[in-house]
Amino acid sequence: MTTPQRGLEQPIIAEGLERVFGSGERAVRAVDGVDLSVERGEIFGFLGPNGAGKSTTVRMLTTLLRPTGGTARVAGFDVVKESDAVRRSIGVALQDAAIDPLMTGAELLHLQAILYGLPRGEHTQRVGDLLERVGLSAAGDRRVGTYSGGMRRRLDLALALIHEPTVLFLDEPTTGLDPMSRMALWDEIRRLNDDGTTVLLTTQYLEEADQLADRVAIIDHGRIVSRGRPADLKAGVGAPTLFIVVDPAQVESASAVLTAFGELRPTAEGTLGVGLVDGAAGVSAVVRALDDAGVQVQNLELKAPSLDDVFAEATGHRLEGAS
Amino acid sequence: MSASTGLAVRSLRNIRRLPSAFLPALLMPVFQVVSFSGTYAGITSIPGFPTDRSVNWYLPMAVTMGASFAGLGTGFSMIRDLQTGFYDRIRMAPARRRDILLGPYLAAWTRAVIAVVLVTLVGFALGARPVGNPFAVFTLFIAGIGMATIGTGWGLGLAYRFRDMRAAAIMQLTLFLGLFLTDAQTPIDIMQGWLKSVATWNPLTRILHVARLGFVDGNGVSDLIIGIVVMAVLGSLAWFFALSGLRRLDD
Amino acid sequence: MTVAAPQQVIALSRRSVQSIVRQPSVVVPSMVFPLFFVALGTSSFARAISIPGFPVVDSFLDFALAGSIVQGVLFGSITSATALATDIETGFFDRLLLTPSPRVGILVGRLAGAMAYGLAQTIFFVLVLFPFGLSIKSGIVGLTAMVIGGLLTALAVGAVMSAMALRTGSSEAVQGSFPLLFVLLFFSSAFFPRQTMDGIYRQIANLNPVSYLVEGFRSLTIGELTTVAVAQTMLIPAAIAVGGLALSLRSLRRRVAAA
Repeated sequence: MTTPQRGLEQPIIAEGLERVFGSGERAVRAVDGVDLSVERGEIFGFLGPNGAGKSTTVRMLTTLLRPTGGTARVAGFDVVKESDAVRRSIGVALQDAAIDPLMTGAELLHLQAILYGLPRGEHTQRVGDLLERVGLSAAGDRRVGTYSGGMRRRLDLALALIHEPTVLFLDEPTTGLDPMSRMALWDEIRRLNDDGTTVLLTTQYLEEADQLADRVAIIDHGRIVSRGRPADLKAGVGAPTLFIVVDPAQVESASAVLTAFGELRPTAEGTLGVGLVDGAAGVSAVVRALDDAGVQVQNLELKAPSLDDVFAEATGHRLEGAS
Repeated sequence: MSASTGLAVRSLRNIRRLPSAFLPALLMPVFQVVSFSGTYAGITSIPGFPTDRSVNWYLPMAVTMGASFAGLGTGFSMIRDLQTGFYDRIRMAPARRRDILLGPYLAAWTRAVIAVVLVTLVGFALGARPVGNPFAVFTLFIAGIGMATIGTGWGLGLAYRFRDMRAAAIMQLTLFLGLFLTDAQTPIDIMQGWLKSVATWNPLTRILHVARLGFVDGNGVSDLIIGIVVMAVLGSLAWFFALSGLRRLDD
Repeated sequence: MTVAAPQQVIALSRRSVQSIVRQPSVVVPSMVFPLFFVALGTSSFARAISIPGFPVVDSFLDFALAGSIVQGVLFGSITSATALATDIETGFFDRLLLTPSPRVGILVGRLAGAMAYGLAQTIFFVLVLFPFGLSIKSGIVGLTAMVIGGLLTALAVGAVMSAMALRTGSSEAVQGSFPLLFVLLFFSSAFFPRQTMDGIYRQIANLNPVSYLVEGFRSLTIGELTTVAVAQTMLIPAAIAVGGLALSLRSLRRRVAAA
């Protein structure tokens, strides 16, 4: 199976990509001018909370949804004008592992092979190989309705790989999985990437992006608010964050004290955060100052910069449920 | 195997795996031919009634009804695929939209043939007998396939547009009303009042006439030609209604 | 079991009526379909009233009213029973059991809702069809008997279906009986006179209680007021209701005991 080979250096390019739902006063700009450029052979993490525009962007890049503005080229082809060529080049694992519960895993893979026009003689071999690759050989003849969440995701990945795509889109591939299944899927994604597949991965788990992605882009309210290598972005935040829990009645006075030690950072409700310029050495000074002001410290924790800090700095709020 | 046959095979396989979705569409026309022929047995004694067997009158009606609901069945499965998200995967395949649409049509025709054969057998067991026309069963099948084609396009088009169970309610209700606002129950010549003009102008009446061609007196070659033209026109309109609905999923 | 306190039954009945009225998918089949078939019939079968075996009527409309009332009430009663089964499925039933109100109130509330709807349906069908030339030969007394008959029919079918709901606790099972009602209705004289049917169809219609239920309403519509007609319209559903209530009370007792 030959997939089209164009645009090898940057398999995913989007310029001013835009999607408006509805019209008039009720129009919603789900994606509002997104620029993306993904290098060949990298794992690109696309981060953001639910409803930020991640999935809408992926649906446009994978030809499922027409953009209302801007352009995008995937594997060198325009997603609107050359959608068929794009479809031949990409593999997509969808959110919620959208598969028909009445079919068996092997039947689904066979159907996928037919839909992608694979030569007939290769079907059985290919289906067998893929089932083995994702560890579903034994379950291949069982109906998908009987699969566990992890098995569905692995089958979903196998479906995305049927035509050996050069670009792989994974839309929240591990949402709802237990830690073991998640690790297993991460390993598989790394292996695919080592074989040369370019991967765009959306996730709301910062750890996932941190673990896998060479570069990340953070999207919020339909716009990209930050992008770069995870290490660079974290270094950009600079100082580690000191998280302090105080009596709710004393939050105001505590904030006043903390501003002297660095900029205040967004945190979860009931917790204060400050970017501690002096690092660990500055903790005792903060505690003393708070004590002098009569603030009772209930809990205190110093954390090295994480993607969550990057996210918080870029958007003004923390990613819900982030680890 | 092409994309369309691949999709058709899947759809047909699901008949066996989810029989509850197919059985009602199969039993309904059987029930119709059985109950209508018996309940309204007396209508053949109305002066001028074109057959003396009530089953000859109601078998073609049940066949067209059953075939069109076999077509709508693909609309129901489509709603399921759209709601599980499985259809996203199919839409992402590099196959022509035409082939992706043809899959459910092939499945609908197969289902319709099953329904038509069953209902026809039941009708003959109840005493339906062709009069004159040796091609009676053949024209009955033509009408069945025609209605299945129209029902499929209509069902798929609505499924693509609404993407939830509202589409199922609308497709059933409209087709049901459309088929009853014809001479489904009695011949137009025998009617009195409002239905007479509605049934005369309802194009589905012309399809029923093709189905009845070999079973009642008075219909001729012109009815066959008109009926086939109506099926071709409505079938094409329904196909484009479905195709434009499929394209609209991208919007 | 004690008799339910009035306020509690009223509250539960009101809820039951609300749940019917608020679902168009319920109102359409039980209100609109019967009228649609009457409308079709008056045009299709206008000339059928002179065939041998057809009773003496002014119009097919007069003949068809009885069938539409029974059809509508039959379809409407499924709804109350389905709602009862859904209450069991969602656990609302258990919550009602936790309240100090008498157990039987749950059933009575649902059945009262069904009766109110059956009454409303009968009046609605008559009112809608009057402008189209419906005439009720037995006059206002006969009409009153028909309305009460509609209410009792709703109670009868509602009670039988509720017994099923309480026994199975599955709304799907209750809904699954829908085709059965269709069969009962079609193999009776609800839509066409028994006297015009042949052979096995006629025998089935002769055995089918729905035939006699419908014919009570019909004789009050197309004939003079007679004691026999009034009795037929009210006593047949009343008799079924007594049996149905006994069944459903037994099922209720079993379910409460199991809970």
